[in-house]
Amino acid sequence: MASLLTSLMGGSSATTRVASGDSLGLAPSDKYSVLLPTYNERANLPVIVWMLVKVFREYGINYEIVIIDDNSPDGTLDIAKQLQDAYGKEHIVLNPRPGKLGLGTAYIDGIKRATGNYIIIMDADMSHHPKFIPEFIRLQKQNNYDVVTGTRYTGSGGVHGWDLRRKLTSRVANYIAATLLQPGVSDLTGSFRLYKKPVLSKLISATISKGYVFQMEMMVRARQFGFTIGEVPITFVDRVYGESKMGADEIVGYLLGLFNLFAST
Amino acid sequence: MSKLTRFLATAFVFLAAWLATLLGYVPVPEIAMEFVPALPLWIIVSFGAYSLASIGWSLVTFGDCPEAHQELLQEIQQAKADLRRLKVTVD
Ligand SMILES: Nc1nc2c(ncn2[C@@H]2O[C@H](COP(=O)(O)OP(=O)(O)OP(=O)(O)O)[C@@H](O)[C@H]2O)c(=O)[nH]1
Ligand SMILES: [Mg+2]
Repeated sequence: MASLLTSLMGGSSATTRVASGDSLGLAPSDKYSVLLPTYNERANLPVIVWMLVKVFREYGINYEIVIIDDNSPDGTLDIAKQLQDAYGKEHIVLNPRPGKLGLGTAYIDGIKRATGNYIIIMDADMSHHPKFIPEFIRLQKQNNYDVVTGTRYTGSGGVHGWDLRRKLTSRVANYIAATLLQPGVSDLTGSFRLYKKPVLSKLISATISKGYVFQMEMMVRARQFGFTIGEVPITFVDRVYGESKMGADEIVGYLLGLFNLFAST
Repeated sequence: MSKLTRFLATAFVFLAAWLATLLGYVPVPEIAMEFVPALPLWIIVSFGAYSLASIGWSLVTFGDCPEAHQELLQEIQQAKADLRRLKVTVD
């Protein structure tokens, strides 16, 4: 129907866009809110936003990008304001916070601002590429999934730029979590996901952990509530700009958090 | 019932049955008594070996994606050029 319209209007550049939008199975009222938590992502933020906008335009997807910046010392917020001027207030929503309050609460605050009926959670450091979003949406629509999660560990998924130590850490972390908690998701520590908005709200209010366990607990809770979960293989490129925050503290925190969940769910 | 309680309950039942067998309360064929004493140890060692093999295998088959990296680097250049045009600071 929509593609018929474009061909009637003689639009050539728009053909791929509308045709793909059609095949995603979007409803006219569908809107996707991307939550982008940022802390010192001055170099990454403009590029990730540019890539997001490119994909959304190409597929004719109704969107907004909520940037939750925790008063980054590198001035990420200034860049966010420039992006708002460039792409418009209806597409770029700013949710600045006074200090580094952490990822968990960043999502809570972000949801409050989000006006879409679907929420996409991803990192702002370009490790998660927006090109996978149409695949998330397609799979979600096909099966009416409550959650679609990106996985680096099946099919065409993969990781670039990790040394052996980081690979081992991720694999062991996933193995222990899968063995203890059995949530039936192949990439538990990943954080590139699409949720129905009410589902995400419910999961977040039930989730108690912080740090890396947070992402995993969301999947455990999703199973607990009987939500359906789909998986899309994704490639993950380690951050090109900025510094990694993974250290021994995170690992100890992860193990403790895992055990807490093992004892409480 | 939490996963921990379920695990502890299962372990307890198993250990009780094992102890009962060991102490002769459960009649088992003579030949079975050869390996019953070592059963818990055997299970732990098997599980450990399985875990190591599983993690080892997942490391060997760990998928790389150099093309995604190349593609991203190119796209970043494209993005930066366009962002400058939109008056967004890119360093
Ligand atoms: N608002 C906010 N965002 C945060 C905070 N901590 C991390 N982030 C953002 O959350 C996302 C994920 O954090 P990362 O530092 O990339 O975590 P990671 O991917 O596990 O580790 P590396 O990429 O190796 O550094 C990024 O977009 C960060 O900017 C925080 O305290 N507040
Ligand atoms: Mg990252």
